[in-house]
Amino acid sequence: MSTEFDAEAYAKAAAAAVGLPLEPRHLPGVAFNLKLAARMAAVVEGMPVTPADEAAPVYVAGREMPKGSGA
Amino acid sequence: MISAAKTAAAIHAGKAKAAHLAEQALADIAARDATCNAFTEVTAARARAEAAAVDAAIAAGRDPGPLAGVPYAVKNLFDLEGITTLAGSIIEKGRPAASRDAFLVRKLKAAGAVCLGALNMDEYAYGFTTENSHYGPSRNPHDTTRMAGGSSGGSAAAVAAGMVPLSLGSDTNGSIRVPSSLCGIFGIKPTYGRLSRSGSYLFAGSFDHLGPFARDVADLALAYDALQGADAEDPAQQWRPVEPVSGLLGAGTTGLRIAVAGGHFARNGHAEAFAAVQVVARALGATARVEIPEAGRGRAAAFLITMAEGGNLHMPDLRTRPDDFDPMTRDRFLAGALLPAHWLQQAQRVRAAYRAAALKVFDEVDVVITPATPYVAPPIGQEMIEVDGERIPVRPNLGVFTQPISCIGLPALVVPLADPGAAGAPNGLPIGVQLVGAPWKEQTLFRVAAALERAGVAASPAIPR
Repeated sequence: MSTEFDAEAYAKAAAAAVGLPLEPRHLPGVAFNLKLAARMAAVVEGMPVTPADEAAPVYVAGREMPKGSGA
Repeated sequence: MISAAKTAAAIHAGKAKAAHLAEQALADIAARDATCNAFTEVTAARARAEAAAVDAAIAAGRDPGPLAGVPYAVKNLFDLEGITTLAGSIIEKGRPAASRDAFLVRKLKAAGAVCLGALNMDEYAYGFTTENSHYGPSRNPHDTTRMAGGSSGGSAAAVAAGMVPLSLGSDTNGSIRVPSSLCGIFGIKPTYGRLSRSGSYLFAGSFDHLGPFARDVADLALAYDALQGADAEDPAQQWRPVEPVSGLLGAGTTGLRIAVAGGHFARNGHAEAFAAVQVVARALGATARVEIPEAGRGRAAAFLITMAEGGNLHMPDLRTRPDDFDPMTRDRFLAGALLPAHWLQQAQRVRAAYRAAALKVFDEVDVVITPATPYVAPPIGQEMIEVDGERIPVRPNLGVFTQPISCIGLPALVVPLADPGAAGAPNGLPIGVQLVGAPWKEQTLFRVAAALERAGVAASPAIPR
């Protein structure tokens, strides 16, 4: 993945999509970090997950503080 | 600087005045902080007022609390009433002053502690070195040409240098544990959700933890006990009973199953990191080896989630004033704001799967010993380092052993080697070892740390004067 990833082109397109003005002088550093992230993404992609593997954050509709919780 | 425990005992016994101790500490900071650049603000008026309140309580026959008169300071991402919370940035300088102390600061105040100021850090906590371009690098008190570690580098340097016996920091990927190891002090990152983070400047909320630093286990325990308590304002806090540790420090390690981590934790570092683990393992009689499966993937997941959450958090300033960010962090935040959603969601699913696999380890063991940092403190400004025959960037790799642990919120306590030179640490520089437990088992970690301290294996090495 990382060898084919054109980080500078991606950075320009994604920045435009999210309304982030990207100064040309910042582009090399941004591309460097995107390539690093791509390498990390490849590591993550390498772990087999199934449809039953939910994401870590779990939404909670509401909480009640129990007695004795040190409040 | 005497310990927090001895300070509080002397105050309670009427043998010392908090006001006198505060003045001593303020004078010490004025005389010595320039060498390590730990403080970004000294709160002298506040310290004098808090110390006077402690002395007044004693005079009136009231108990000022378990940390009576104990000086401390906090990473400058904690709100201190009346002061603007910088979070290591110049961007925040223009914001209003905090209207209230952070929850943990209120806890320490209620325990009688005396706040001396705010401490240097990597900008917005995005770093492992505290080479802050705006406020200058914090310097390691053991060798001021070297990094203090980060992002809570000022917190570690202030304690290691003896300017305060206690400090507070934050740890998203290793920011308490890395500087603890490099500066040779004790630090705990509790279980995710244990201590309230309200009133602190978040970095990546999925992983943000807060915790204390100290030069001995009793002081770390005193602080940790004082910091516990439920807070409705932190959405990630788990409301559990207060589980104090100070009374358990003499309990010993009999019955505890302790093992050394292999795999990811047995490579990616220099010899001194693994020698330090062996010193601790020998002292504990730990001969078993376990593997925390998929730790490398957990680290990668934490890397991506951190980057994206940080980028999102700072998007308004990234859009309008990117050049006001520290060049050390700016491009990472910009890149983080652009990550594909698929990478993030995949990272969150891997995080959960990795947690499920890792927690099984604790069916077999109670404590896992890992290196805390891959090497001793590098020189300030060093970019690259050789590890396992490969030249790699020195800074991100400082978190190689801490990041997989905070990714899934396990409690971890760093103990410094009493004699790092005997373990082969270059120039005898400090290095620590990470003790990792199952969720909510901080008590076990404190028992082990105290046993190592009693055995003379763990201690904060003296600073060369």
